[in-house]
Amino acid sequence: MVEKPITGTKKAFMTGNEVVAWAALAAKADIMFGYPITPQNEIMHYWTRLAPKFNREFLQTEDEISAGFTVCGAVQAGKKAFTATAGPGNVLMQEPFGMAEGMRLPTVAIIQQRGGPSSGTVVYSQQEVTLTTYGGNGEGHRIVYSTSTHQELFDYVIKAFNTAWKYRFPTFVLGDGYQAKMREPLEIYDPEEKGIELVPAKPLVGLPGSIGDEREPAHLCNIYSLEEELYEVVLKLAQAYEAVAPEIVEWDEKMCDDAEIIVVSHGVVSRAAYDAVGILRDEGIKVGYFRPITLRPFPEKQLREAIKRSGAKKMLIAESSYGQLMRLVRQEIYGETIEIHGLLMPGLGIVDSDIVAKAKSLL
Amino acid sequence: MYFVYKNYNASVLGILGGVSSSNIIMERVVEAYVGEYASGKSEVAINRALELKEQSWEVTLVDLDTVEPFYTLRPLKALLEKKGITVVGWEAKETFGLGETGGLIKPAVRWVLKRSGCIIMDIGYGVHGAHTLNLVEGAYDDPHLKVLAVVNVARPMTATVGDIIDYVKHLGRVDGLVSNNHLGNDTTVEFVEQGHRVVLEAAESLGIPVVCAAVDERLREEVAKIDFAGVPVRYIKRYMPGAIW
Repeated sequence: MVEKPITGTKKAFMTGNEVVAWAALAAKADIMFGYPITPQNEIMHYWTRLAPKFNREFLQTEDEISAGFTVCGAVQAGKKAFTATAGPGNVLMQEPFGMAEGMRLPTVAIIQQRGGPSSGTVVYSQQEVTLTTYGGNGEGHRIVYSTSTHQELFDYVIKAFNTAWKYRFPTFVLGDGYQAKMREPLEIYDPEEKGIELVPAKPLVGLPGSIGDEREPAHLCNIYSLEEELYEVVLKLAQAYEAVAPEIVEWDEKMCDDAEIIVVSHGVVSRAAYDAVGILRDEGIKVGYFRPITLRPFPEKQLREAIKRSGAKKMLIAESSYGQLMRLVRQEIYGETIEIHGLLMPGLGIVDSDIVAKAKSLL
Repeated sequence: MYFVYKNYNASVLGILGGVSSSNIIMERVVEAYVGEYASGKSEVAINRALELKEQSWEVTLVDLDTVEPFYTLRPLKALLEKKGITVVGWEAKETFGLGETGGLIKPAVRWVLKRSGCIIMDIGYGVHGAHTLNLVEGAYDDPHLKVLAVVNVARPMTATVGDIIDYVKHLGRVDGLVSNNHLGNDTTVEFVEQGHRVVLEAAESLGIPVVCAAVDERLREEVAKIDFAGVPVRYIKRYMPGAIW
């Protein structure tokens, strides 16, 4: 009898990458496929240290394309499989992620964003928003959680496996170089002891019963040779995605009711945004905080509602990229007349004083 | 009784006593801090270097983190040099443009043991990091060298007595443990106390001493009631939160 990786709830002091490895263990992930890339390496390092103790498996593939496809294969065999990557690795994995989208495979990938455009830049950035939400040759039928703390990394990695297996859309946890390497305290726990039900994995191929007589065919296919066939498949995918999106979407909104400026941010930057909003409020400046937790599906209705309720005339989007979140927000709230301003700092960390100064310049 | 000081020579007893001006360190200190990733090696090394500097020693702090430019001494180099410490390692701006190749060590590191005064080496990145001591010329022949493993029971891989024993055995030569139990800003006195007991027990089984307990200086008054079983306490000021890159 192999021991459970975590019993009860424990306080720990960890780096974000380790948190991911422990969360995947806690979520009963069976296997990780990976290829080394900074800043996610320690996810692999810790998974490979831990996996043998708890009868889990690991395969280092020859590259990221293989890592993505082996995850696609393993989930079809009924294994909770995942990978982790960053930057150019995320680019290479878009082919398998596209296949996962087309076949509705419950793949899980942790993306620790790094800077670009580049093949070799390893430092922090938030420049993989577009790639992770809409990368690949598909329509972005995927789920992307953007975390901001180590506690959230733990919680959302566990949730990502559940979401993937419940809804069968490829699911991503979007972190970044800071979250990967930063160290802070958090509580690690066994999810089932906390009453979190873990959605079981089950094989998608080789099912019992003869097709047509005893069961419907699985139709796991992502190659279509007729335009009409592809059209039908994509529309079905869109319909299925849009039907479940309201159940999946997550956001955090604070102090927006009377806000004149709404600060929108995601991921680690939202920590600075939250502090900045507090500082500005203390100075009597009416600022609100809005953070999409899911970047796909995007909390479009909730953001529109916050704009309407507050009557805010200005929005400030703060991100460590040159407008990737801004483009996402613009397309999602098309038609709103709120002025949109950006604090766009690709590669640079954003602190509260950056946001405070920018917000004041908009008054 | 816990096994704390046995088999330690006079110079090491000097190290053990180095907490206040009443415990003047008489002989050159050469220490290499190794241990689990994110166990607190750099923080303990920086504080040790500053403590020795306060006692008027010439101090060289050596950055032996060869793996990645994250959470190393680099961003703090200028600050530490202002405080009178010689830092042998890259400054962040010197690695500008190197990308992933920025993981190379500064050539001067190889000859650092030829320098006079106290030498404190911060050796990054876990078990593999500990082996990089090989890169320092004469490291294992230096009569003063002590290899000290920094242990924090809040790190899940070194959370229990058994985990610490297994881990330290993988590090190669270790002459002593540093009991560095904390949860960052969430550290409590109870946590420090419980962690210290675990580290003492592991040290006893390993047959090596616990050379000191490192405690956030903000807890100085509160930890006064803890029985550290004769292990000296070093109060740590946290510099590393300013070293994210």
